Amino acid sequence: MSIETRWKLIRFLITALSMFGLWLIFTARFELFSLVTGLGGSFFVAALTYEIFIPRHQAGINFFVPRPFHLILYLFLMIFFIYKSSLAVLVSVVTGRVNPRIVHFRTSLKSDMARMVLANSITMTPGTITLDLNDDHLTVHWFFSTTSHSKVAGNEVKGEIEKHLKKVWL
Amino acid sequence: MREFLLTGMQWFIIACILVCIIRILTSRTTSGKLVGLNVLSGAVLAFLVLRGVSEGRALYLDVALVYDIFGFLGFLGIARFLKDKIQGESQE
Amino acid sequence: MSIREILAAIAFLAAVVFGVAGLAGLFRFPDPYSRLQAGSLLGTTSVLSIFIGTLLLSPNGAVAARVVVIMLFFLISSPTGSHIVARFTWNIGTHPWRPKSEEKKKQRKAGTGKDEAAPEENP
Repeated sequence: MSIETRWKLIRFLITALSMFGLWLIFTARFELFSLVTGLGGSFFVAALTYEIFIPRHQAGINFFVPRPFHLILYLFLMIFFIYKSSLAVLVSVVTGRVNPRIVHFRTSLKSDMARMVLANSITMTPGTITLDLNDDHLTVHWFFSTTSHSKVAGNEVKGEIEKHLKKVWL
Repeated sequence: MREFLLTGMQWFIIACILVCIIRILTSRTTSGKLVGLNVLSGAVLAFLVLRGVSEGRALYLDVALVYDIFGFLGFLGIARFLKDKIQGESQE
Repeated sequence: MSIREILAAIAFLAAVVFGVAGLAGLFRFPDPYSRLQAGSLLGTTSVLSIFIGTLLLSPNGAVAARVVVIMLFFLISSPTGSHIVARFTWNIGTHPWRPKSEEKKKQRKAGTGKDEAAPEENP
């Protein structure tokens, strides 16, 4: 078995398994008929779409499979970050002291999955919104900007999030 | 106490939805209307979950789950359609 | 009145405070980006607080499991919606709003607008 074929098989299996997991979550029942239908359907959909779900150049298992412990830790951290920055926006709505500005910076994360999650996390926390994501280049609308220097702004906006995200994905 | 909390939050969310509708109707630009719609969809999701928990029926929460997953497809359609329209107008 | 009800009441109180602030912010700021930032107080934080409160008040396991699943998918779907709106606003070429006093202070201090983050049209 050549390395290309093996990589195709791994991608196919991971796609099928994640589809089956979604099926279990949505139906929430464990009868035989439901399980067989879900398994057949997820294998069929995976055969059609595994090229799109995991692109060929994402060569590495940790590019798209998260480390479970760090992922759960990251979810709780995310909720903490949301409340922390919500308080800042709450104060700024009351006092009206804001300095909105658009900043650009780069990220050092390697996989597409981690970059997507980083952009979504930045949008999720009130106070920062990702306007555009081009490969590793983010355009962010920042509500309390102190600087427009690319590196400093990047450190302040994504610093903590990126540090924890590096442990979850590559 | 439980009934009071859930019912009170439902009334609060209904008030929020009404204010969001006023925001959508009074803003003049397309982006302003879309911002109001974005906030409105989150409020509607919260209302569906509150209703399902206060009635204690899992079926209502399934509706909320589907609304959660496919809610943003509406924005995607509106944004895609209006972007083409606005760019076409500016090119002519 | 059990301990779960008290915790749920605290979560709902946070939801009310953030929700009122988000509604005020929707009317207070003049441009779509800032309104989106303030509106995400209601659209994200308040809704998340309501989910936590309902999780504490849920009557049985089936309902609680559904609420957890809805919470997980909300963490994906909410920023996607905000991002679509923000990207649409950016692509049609809306400039971000700057407060008047800040701009005057900057002009007095520097003279030139070299600090100005001029939004470039992306291709």
